[in-house]
Amino acid sequence: MANMAGIDGYEATLKILLIGNSNVGKSSLLLRFTEDTFLPQDEVAATIGVDFKVQDMMFEGKKYKLTIWDTAGQERFRTLTSSYYRGAQGVILVYDVSNRETFDQLDNWFNELSTYCTNKEVVKMIVGNKVDKEEQRVISRKEAEGYARKSHTLFLECSAKTRYGVKEAFEELVRKILETPSLWQKRPLPSNNINVSRQTEYKQDDEACNC
Amino acid sequence: MNDLPYAADAEASLSGEELNVLRRQYYREAEQGDVTTQTKFNFAWGSIKSRKAHDQDFGVALLKEIFKEDPERRRECLYYLALGSFKLGRYLEAREFNNKLLKMEPGNLQAQNLQELIEKKHEKEGLLGMVIVGGAVAVGALIVGTIFNKNKR
Repeated sequence: MANMAGIDGYEATLKILLIGNSNVGKSSLLLRFTEDTFLPQDEVAATIGVDFKVQDMMFEGKKYKLTIWDTAGQERFRTLTSSYYRGAQGVILVYDVSNRETFDQLDNWFNELSTYCTNKEVVKMIVGNKVDKEEQRVISRKEAEGYARKSHTLFLECSAKTRYGVKEAFEELVRKILETPSLWQKRPLPSNNINVSRQTEYKQDDEACNC
Repeated sequence: MNDLPYAADAEASLSGEELNVLRRQYYREAEQGDVTTQTKFNFAWGSIKSRKAHDQDFGVALLKEIFKEDPERRRECLYYLALGSFKLGRYLEAREFNNKLLKMEPGNLQAQNLQELIEKKHEKEGLLGMVIVGGAVAVGALIVGTIFNKNKR
């Protein structure tokens, strides 16, 4: 909450990135997660460059600040979005279960991720959105699960429209990030965002997260 | 919503080297006499994100060109023109660009957020300006305090 600003209420600040083809519902997922609303497709404008939201999350009694970067899926912004990968601890790759092309292009998104995200430990999650369109589904859960397993990533299906799985996706991602202390505990975050004294208790390895 | 609207693209600047990549590509193509819209847009975008006013100024100028040359890119031009003007402290221009975008896309949440940001900043600096002109320092502190309290709520 804004009135907490100035008082260090946060255990850490986590940067999460949403990537994937245009029209898979990245902005809708974010809107559902942060404001619990949903806009019909004809009212949604394609994201310009990047959008950004902040959301608090309680986890095991501690408060975390999530900064979520919602990147444009359109090709024309592709070269620009690469700069947003820097410092991300979690990346959500979104596809549309009713559109095969958006699933097939996950390979490209993984390539991009590994090019721009130098930190090997960054937590990756594949999210299949729009499961409310069950009758138009072309990617089965099984197929996507198999792909996620091969890619060593988390996987979840959800629907921004019905809320199904949305909160769980972000929670699961955050849990996994928090299970990887090297990702977030020694980062040079602004001092009001992280309990510095606590960092020294953890092993310091040389590979700083500069992803 | 737990924060003021925040123009991520306005605040997060590129590294000097990243901006240089975009700059080099722009001038390379310019030398060959044919700058693609994408190259131009990329450089404009990077320039607007810079912390230096003359870069931002240059970015705004480039975007105005693209706006004229390529109708298909108008929405992103307007958005970044608004952002660039906002960063340069030209709030009236920023508002004008952003309003144009909102007219095209009334439901655009990015533009709605940016509008809120422009109005807040404009209001804040407007009040500060009046106070300084009046030279009433004590009154100024009072007003500033009120503004901060208001923002905290």
